[in-house]
Amino acid sequence: MGDDFLAYIERLQIMAFFAGYPLIYALVQVLAGRQACKSGSFANRLVQSLPYAYALTATLFLGMLLRDLYPDYSMKNISGQFQDPWLRVFGLLAMLNWIPFISQKPLLSLLHSLVFFFFIIQDLLLHITTSSIGKEVIQNDMRIFTDSFLLNTVTVTVILAFSLIIARIRKR
Amino acid sequence: MKLLKNKLLLALLVLISGYGYIISCTHDNSVPPPAAVVGIKYKPGTGVFVPGNMTAGNPNEWKLDKVHSSVLWSGAYIGAAGLLTGRFNQFGMHNVLPAEMTLYLPAGQPVKDTSWAFNEGDDSKTYFNGYVQMNTSNTGEPGRDSGCNIGNMGTQKISYYGGQYCLRDSNIARLQTTKVAFDPSTGNYIVNFNLTWKGKLSTPLTESLVGRLSYVKRATIASAVPYDVFGLQLLFQLNIRDFGVTSTSIGDKVDIQCNMNFNNK
Repeated sequence: MGDDFLAYIERLQIMAFFAGYPLIYALVQVLAGRQACKSGSFANRLVQSLPYAYALTATLFLGMLLRDLYPDYSMKNISGQFQDPWLRVFGLLAMLNWIPFISQKPLLSLLHSLVFFFFIIQDLLLHITTSSIGKEVIQNDMRIFTDSFLLNTVTVTVILAFSLIIARIRKR
Repeated sequence: MKLLKNKLLLALLVLISGYGYIISCTHDNSVPPPAAVVGIKYKPGTGVFVPGNMTAGNPNEWKLDKVHSSVLWSGAYIGAAGLLTGRFNQFGMHNVLPAEMTLYLPAGQPVKDTSWAFNEGDDSKTYFNGYVQMNTSNTGEPGRDSGCNIGNMGTQKISYYGGQYCLRDSNIARLQTTKVAFDPSTGNYIVNFNLTWKGKLSTPLTESLVGRLSYVKRATIASAVPYDVFGLQLLFQLNIRDFGVTSTSIGDKVDIQCNMNFNNK
């Protein structure tokens, strides 16, 4: 966890957005199965909506950052509030999934989110192998992971619903 | 092949997260609390404590022992787990009037701690006024104190005011009791009060809250010149979201503990 408590809280915040995505990704891919290859099918639409849902999650993350900084968006305030800006910048990179060229490679969104899931693995390993990580930290991680899973479920549902509505309008 | 890889990934993720849930859901055995004692009715004492003019050497005038008192806060961090804790370094028991809401040189108490009275037997004569300087919040953790601790409360650091005490309404939270009533089932007092704080709002908000006040009985301290002491502890909770605090580092509910010690030296 390191010595910096604020950095730890920031890490939990960012995990709350992205750490649950790998599980959603794997669930969707397995549920879609071979049907995902059939263009226009529901399974195909579901798989295609994954990167956009991830981008939506990143946009919500950006919204939270802007809300936290409100009303002072100066560099001084940003450097004062954020202990680990690079992790946040890395999190915001997920918004690149709004670009169709990148969203065509859903694997990229999985690799990006796995970075945040690895924080949980790291804590679990430290808990098992050393006493430096207490059960409370694992409890935090799993609560955050649950929240993140629910958030990503909602974003996938929203994007899928949006995609179905657009498809229906286009058919007409 | 791709499906197999996805299945393998899903199995791995489920295994890892499942193991995490198992660890986090395992409870340690805890000792149950002792059974509650019922049927006891407490009676209030007869002590009367007033500050008067806080004249030194007058044993009938009680002085707030600021040095040995404290105002502590605590709240669940990110609203989910253990406590974030801290204290306010500067506070007092004075009804800060608009004319007094200004800057003061940092020497002793900026205004006299005379806006209170405690009457053990007649709670209708008990009242308190108090204030804390929000920018003196101190967590003991440099990372937090130099970071967002003060900014998240909608005020400015002490250095912003040139090191002076700031009693402007943007920087103080004020407490004013409206009713104090003895509770015979606990021997404590139920305190209704108004809390006024601006927080991150555009203007100060006054909210009616309820707290529990416990009285630590008067005792004589043996010294070259013996003197008496007594203590009061007020506990209450507030919802900081009502005051516009949006930081996700701390949960909605914050517990406040005011430990006030008095002497008649």
